[in-house]
Amino acid sequence: MFPKLDPILHSELRLAVMSILAGADEADFTYLKNQTGATSGNLSVQIDKITTAGYITVEKGFKGKMPRTTCKITPAGQEAFSNYVDALKEYLSAGQ
Amino acid sequence: MTAQESLQLITESFNKSRKDILRNSAKFFMLWGILLTVISVAIYLLWHSTGKPQWNFLWFAMPVIGYPFAALIRKNTVAIPQNEVSKMLGGVWSVFGAFSITLSAIAVFLVPMHITLIIVIILGLAECISGVLLKNWPIIIAGFFLGIGGAVFAMLVKSEAQLLIFTLGGVLLLVTGMIMKLQYK
Repeated sequence: MFPKLDPILHSELRLAVMSILAGADEADFTYLKNQTGATSGNLSVQIDKITTAGYITVEKGFKGKMPRTTCKITPAGQEAFSNYVDALKEYLSAGQ
Repeated sequence: MTAQESLQLITESFNKSRKDILRNSAKFFMLWGILLTVISVAIYLLWHSTGKPQWNFLWFAMPVIGYPFAALIRKNTVAIPQNEVSKMLGGVWSVFGAFSITLSAIAVFLVPMHITLIIVIILGLAECISGVLLKNWPIIIAGFFLGIGGAVFAMLVKSEAQLLIFTLGGVLLLVTGMIMKLQYK
C-alpha cells in the first residue's frame, strides 16, 4: 500500500516554498515571491497554512527602515518534507 | 500534481535557490579580489617609486574600504538566503580576515614577523578550502599553488616585489568569483 501524501505539501506553491526553505537557512518573503512567481496575497495565504501545520516559522522584523518577513523551516517541516520525498519515490518506483 | 511533477518541482526550486545563493557569494569574491589587486599594486608602485616600506600601512585601508562596500552590496540586493555552503564560505573568509588583520597589527606594532609568508599561506589555504566547499577543482588547485608557490616566492624575493604575490592572489579571487557566476548561472 502506498503511503499517503501529505496534503499540506501536495500543492504546487506550498511545495515550492518548502523546497526553497529545505535548502536554505531562511528566506525572505520577497525572495520567495520572486522565486515562485506567486502574488503576495496567495503566497501569504499558503505561508499561513504551512505555518499553522508547524512546518515553518515566520518572523517579522525590519531591514533598515523596510519591513521584512522571514520564513524558516522547522525540524517538523524538515521531517515532513523528507517523508514526502520518500513517498514520492515509492510512487515512482512502483510505477516503473 | 503527479509524483513525477512534484519531484521535478522540488528539484527545480531547490537547484534554483542553490544557484542564487552561490551566485550571490560570487559578488564578495569579486569585491575583495578587486580590492586586493588594486591595493597591492598601489603599495607596490608607491614603495617602488619612493623606496619607503611605510606604504604598507595602506593595507589597513583594505578592511576600512571593503567592509562598508560589502555592507552596501548586501543592502542593495534583494535578500538572498544563505545555505550551508555560503555560510561556510563566509566563515572561512571571515576567519582569514581576522587572522590577517590581527597578525599584521602584531607584526607592525609588537613582534616583527615574516607577514607576507604567513598571509600568503593562509590566503592560499582559504582559497583551497573555498574550492573544496564549491567542489571546484580549478579553485582548489589555484589555491594550492597560490599558498605553496607564494610561500616559496615570499622566501626568495625581497622587499616590494613580494607584493606581486598578493596581486596574483587578488586576481585569483576575482577569477574565482567569475567562475562561480558562470558555474551557477
